[in-house]
Amino acid sequence: MNAEAKNQKKIKLDSAPKKKKKIASLEKKKARVGYIFVLPFIIGLVIIYLPMIFQSINYSFNQIGYADGGGIELTPVGLDNYREALFTDPSYFETLRNGIGRIVFDVPAIVIFSLFMAILLNQDIAGRGLFRAIFFIPVIISTGLISDIDASNILMQNTGSSIDTGTGTNNVQQIVSAMDIEMLFSNMKVGAQLVDYVVDLVNDIFNIVNRSGVQMLIFLAGLQSISPAIYESCQIDGATGWETFWKITFPMISPMILVNAIYTVIDALTRSDNAVMSYIEEVYTQPDGMTLSAAMSWIYFLIVFLLIALVSAVISAYVFYQRRDT
Amino acid sequence: MDAVKNAPKVKKDSKDKIKVEFEGQLSAWERFKLKVFSMYFLKNVVVRICTYILLVGVSYIIIYPFISKLASSIMCREDFVDVTVMLISKNPTLDTYRAIITDNRYFEALLNTAILSGSCAIIQMFITCLIGYGFAKFKFRGNGLLFLFVIVTMVIPHSTLHLAMYMRFRYFDILGIFNFLGGGVFEAIEILPFTEIDLTNGYAPFLILSVTGLAFKNGLYIFLFRQFFRGVPDELEESAYIDGAGTFRTFVQIILPLSVSMLVTVFMFAFSWQWTDKYYTNVFFTSPLKAPYTLRDLALKKPSSLDTDYAGGNLYTAAINNTAGIMIIAPLVFIYCFAQKSLVQGIERSGITG
Repeated sequence: MNAEAKNQKKIKLDSAPKKKKKIASLEKKKARVGYIFVLPFIIGLVIIYLPMIFQSINYSFNQIGYADGGGIELTPVGLDNYREALFTDPSYFETLRNGIGRIVFDVPAIVIFSLFMAILLNQDIAGRGLFRAIFFIPVIISTGLISDIDASNILMQNTGSSIDTGTGTNNVQQIVSAMDIEMLFSNMKVGAQLVDYVVDLVNDIFNIVNRSGVQMLIFLAGLQSISPAIYESCQIDGATGWETFWKITFPMISPMILVNAIYTVIDALTRSDNAVMSYIEEVYTQPDGMTLSAAMSWIYFLIVFLLIALVSAVISAYVFYQRRDT
Repeated sequence: MDAVKNAPKVKKDSKDKIKVEFEGQLSAWERFKLKVFSMYFLKNVVVRICTYILLVGVSYIIIYPFISKLASSIMCREDFVDVTVMLISKNPTLDTYRAIITDNRYFEALLNTAILSGSCAIIQMFITCLIGYGFAKFKFRGNGLLFLFVIVTMVIPHSTLHLAMYMRFRYFDILGIFNFLGGGVFEAIEILPFTEIDLTNGYAPFLILSVTGLAFKNGLYIFLFRQFFRGVPDELEESAYIDGAGTFRTFVQIILPLSVSMLVTVFMFAFSWQWTDKYYTNVFFTSPLKAPYTLRDLALKKPSSLDTDYAGGNLYTAAINNTAGIMIIAPLVFIYCFAQKSLVQGIERSGITG
């Protein structure tokens, strides 16, 4: 044993922990780079979004007025805005209740419809590209301005017209006579409420089709990710299409059902042609309505939040994940 | 002997195709009969027919409004009082279009909206791509918490922030810096001549919101990108790192080319939703005189040269509005025709899971 060997050993011992340290710092470095990628969002959050939220909450507890020298003045009024929204305002509570009821009614219909259509569009049929192109048109154009124009059409149509634009409710009788369906179902001895539900759905088909574009895309993505080998082995084992759907497609697509249900709830609750939203916007334009509308929309947000939590809790109990790690 | 007789006989032989005939087997007609009159085939045919009926029916529901809008847009004034006119005009005319183009300054609105939507969509596309990549691939502290905020921006109804958002940009200030420098806090310090900036009635609020990933539906785009990048294998980047590329070079040279279809999808969403947006334009464009003239102003505005004050006035107004609608979405449809394929592909490849 000479000194050199000892020295070498020492270096070796030294270098081992050194190396480890270096790896850790590389990872840290990489993590730090992550901050740079999300930096725009952090900046936006800190200087715009969070102040905006605090301001909005603040407004909902205040009364706004115009100061003498221009600008605005806030006078704290405590919970008055909330009290007014819930108890004094004649139609807010009613609109809220109807709006929420509407969502409970719409969401299952949209999710089921878009799943059904996605399965049809996923099949290998001639003209699939064309059908897909048509089905996704509403995603691109049936928002904002166009739905405004359609809404004004419905108003016009109620005044009696010979030209229909296919967007209203009065022309639905031409597509399907609601009475016939009612007759059919009442002969089948199912509950009257179910009949009403189905009739309403049929009458509302334009709306449902228009709002299920993104959901269809998401379902299509999910269907494409199911390996064809699974279907093949099912076929070899002699499963029928019905069994394959319930035993393979449905469990595999269930995470997508969760995503879509939540997306549909969010979309239905926050789209601007929604009854509650338009009511809040209407209140906003009234004199002294700015702070009241802030209070109203915070109440609304709370309900939205609870609904989403509820939906995700209920559905995620039934979701099947193929891979645990993702 | 038999084996030779039953062996298939080669009829035609080319480079990659071979046509053979099975001698002593069924004739073509009998084979056809066997194929067509089996339960399996019939069932398939019935299923196919039902599928097509459904698809065509739903397509009809989607397309019919556009057809009827188009039809009513070329009707002349008299057609609306004529009960025999349902869909096809007796005297087709382009007067409505002409009136909207000249009276309502269609092209000016189109140009303004195109500038606004185009710049916003491009910025949003890259920014949300960056943010989504950051969330998907880097495990920094607070990743989960920050992503929760992204979800929050999706969930909060925008009417909640209406007033706050307007105030934010009407009296724009970065963390009180302008106020401080402008002498709002101490009278002695007055470096800037103003204490806040009025950014409303211009494009600035839209651009600021886009750059920070807070604009309309940006939460959804960030979510889509995050899911997409989670599906990209880490090995790709690791091999790039080993070859000596930095994180940003990897992002630009490896990741961006991979995600073209996703980028197109998000661009299409951002562009068309900004194009038909009325909410944000309502918040920020408060003064009709100062604000840029966009398609929003065109939507429900009656051209001055068209006279709607007669028996068919209601219908005529509706038809004019619809014509404006057609003219608003026409450029979108045009772009959609080209981007449609990548749009669907982008989502399909995103591999969205739970």
